Amino acid sequence: MEEFDFSQPSRQSSKGIIVIFAVNAVKWLRALFPALVALGFGLFRKNSFLTWSPWMIALIIFALLLLMLGIAVLKYLNFKFHVADDDFHLDTGIIEKDKTIIPKSKIQNVYIQQNFLQQIINVVSLKIESAGDKKSEIEINALSRPMALQLKKALFDRKSATIETNDSFQEEAEANVFFKISIKRLFLEGLLHNHLKSFVIIVSFAFGIYYEFKSIIEDLQINENLDQLTTYEDGLAQVLYLNLLLGFIVLIISILYSVVRIVIVNFNLEVIENNKTIEISKGLLNKVSLTLTPDKIQNVIVKTNALKRRLNLHSLYVKQAMTNEKQSKNFGIIALEDVHIQHLLDKLLQNYHTSDEKRKPSTYYKRIMAFYSLVFLVLINVIAIIVFDYNALFVNLFLVPFMALSVHYRYKKAYYNITEPFLTVGSGFIDTKKEIINIHKLQAVKLVQNIFQKRRGVASVIVYTASKSVTIPYVDEKEAKSIYDFLLFKVESEGKNWM
Amino acid sequence: MNFTNSQIEDFTIPSLEEVHLKPISKNYFKIIVINKIVVYGIFFAILLTLNRFVDDVAFQENFWVLFGVLFIFCLIDFTTSYIAFKNRKYAIREHDVIYAKGFLTRSITTVPISRIQHIEESRSWLARQFHLSTLNIFTAGESGSDLTIKGLPKDEAKQINDFLSSKVNGRI
Repeated sequence: MEEFDFSQPSRQSSKGIIVIFAVNAVKWLRALFPALVALGFGLFRKNSFLTWSPWMIALIIFALLLLMLGIAVLKYLNFKFHVADDDFHLDTGIIEKDKTIIPKSKIQNVYIQQNFLQQIINVVSLKIESAGDKKSEIEINALSRPMALQLKKALFDRKSATIETNDSFQEEAEANVFFKISIKRLFLEGLLHNHLKSFVIIVSFAFGIYYEFKSIIEDLQINENLDQLTTYEDGLAQVLYLNLLLGFIVLIISILYSVVRIVIVNFNLEVIENNKTIEISKGLLNKVSLTLTPDKIQNVIVKTNALKRRLNLHSLYVKQAMTNEKQSKNFGIIALEDVHIQHLLDKLLQNYHTSDEKRKPSTYYKRIMAFYSLVFLVLINVIAIIVFDYNALFVNLFLVPFMALSVHYRYKKAYYNITEPFLTVGSGFIDTKKEIINIHKLQAVKLVQNIFQKRRGVASVIVYTASKSVTIPYVDEKEAKSIYDFLLFKVESEGKNWM
Repeated sequence: MNFTNSQIEDFTIPSLEEVHLKPISKNYFKIIVINKIVVYGIFFAILLTLNRFVDDVAFQENFWVLFGVLFIFCLIDFTTSYIAFKNRKYAIREHDVIYAKGFLTRSITTVPISRIQHIEESRSWLARQFHLSTLNIFTAGESGSDLTIKGLPKDEAKQINDFLSSKVNGRI
């Protein structure tokens, strides 16, 4: 394998110009989008914008592209990095020179990513995330894959600046591919996804588009056609039918949407087991590879639902400390089998075990959920009657059973369980969710009790970790207090570090 | 139900119930009152000016209703803030910091000292007049797990800050 010398300042691959250019182009496009739309409409209507002729506009666009290319080249020329002593150095800036130095010990995560463009020109980007500020993230846009891998190794090699390739690559030899997703399971996972979320996304997206282009739609006189349709054949059944049809179409679209999204994001998902860490790589348009380190893991969430469980499909999500929002979405592995989950939990949480005993929240939790649902129902009905008319009440046909099921299952799936040193909390409505934290990773504990809960003698316990909070809802007050005391006692008496 | 656990039966787990929570300085209520007086003062001033300069009959007729609603709202706000103020309590134990607050929903948050990232002591102009300090205790957790204890006597805040800081630094 070719070896790279990172001790001398070096540029990224010259293909980086293309990547920088594309990144800038997208950025500019996004910023100028409203202006461009206006310009397009101007052209469409009058064949000119202001007093410029189409030729003039083409010339301006060409000049802009040239300018962007120039900037990309200059950015590329002025982007140099090297690894010296125990620091990573980066020089950037065309006019204003920036020099960034990150001590290796402060580097939290290194990601290797490859978006669609980078896949075409066969380069990868390397992201370096350091502790502290949320914005402190460095991205090197274009490196060859071997170079990126070696740089990653060099950054995690804390002893010296020179790369001891032998050592690090030996470790890689030990690594084995622990799990590889099959196309069938990938599609199944997409098909059985909780489509409710996609449904909401699609509906809000449709509404957004509708309001954005309201004037245009009105121009096209679709509304009048629709009006004609409804006036000819009136009646409740017709309205119901139309609404059902619309709902059905949106449902199909949202199912398609979740299947496509899940397949694209998780395409070729691979879990690689190293000595101490777990590596995930996945993605079709945007390939990512990331490393999970047990020390940094704060919360582990196992998710499935009734149908998926039958097909032995489980997902595992990991929350790591010191990881930015966007990346943390990628820390999930889907379509795992039962045995895989067990193995991964053992590895990531060091001998995870739990007893079968599931402690339930107080039944008051169920009653209060039912009460909230009722309030919500009444509210929806009042709004529906005011905005539409009594015909709108047919939504109750769906809403009432939905709410009843929701209360039933949310209570049924709620439980908690403390088996040293783990706290497990179950929840979910359509999904079945199991959140696990290692007790010594907690940052703070909170006991919450409102006046109604006080009267019933129940309280909730919220456990905060560095990534997420977990709530044990509505347990008996005495029990809540003893959980509270116990958790604190464990943390304070053991004196273990949280990271 | 209690947690019985063979491994730790020899010890007794320190209990939240045994902790004596200390109320924050009474002077802090004065700050709350001053702040509220300023806010409501502005509202009443607006209402009174409108009364003088707006000739609209509907407004004039309903002026006293508006005035009454605002007054009742103001009264309720003052009483609830007083009760909420009474519930603001704190305690420093050997290994953790406890803070309780709330009126309708009460909460008690505990941060182990070993999880404190850094501590900030801040004093607004008004707080300086009453010799009070605010102590911000930050953890690595979400925002909900950070503690903000307002209305501590200045000297006590300093003592707590010194104590916690020495413990936090001694850890490294």
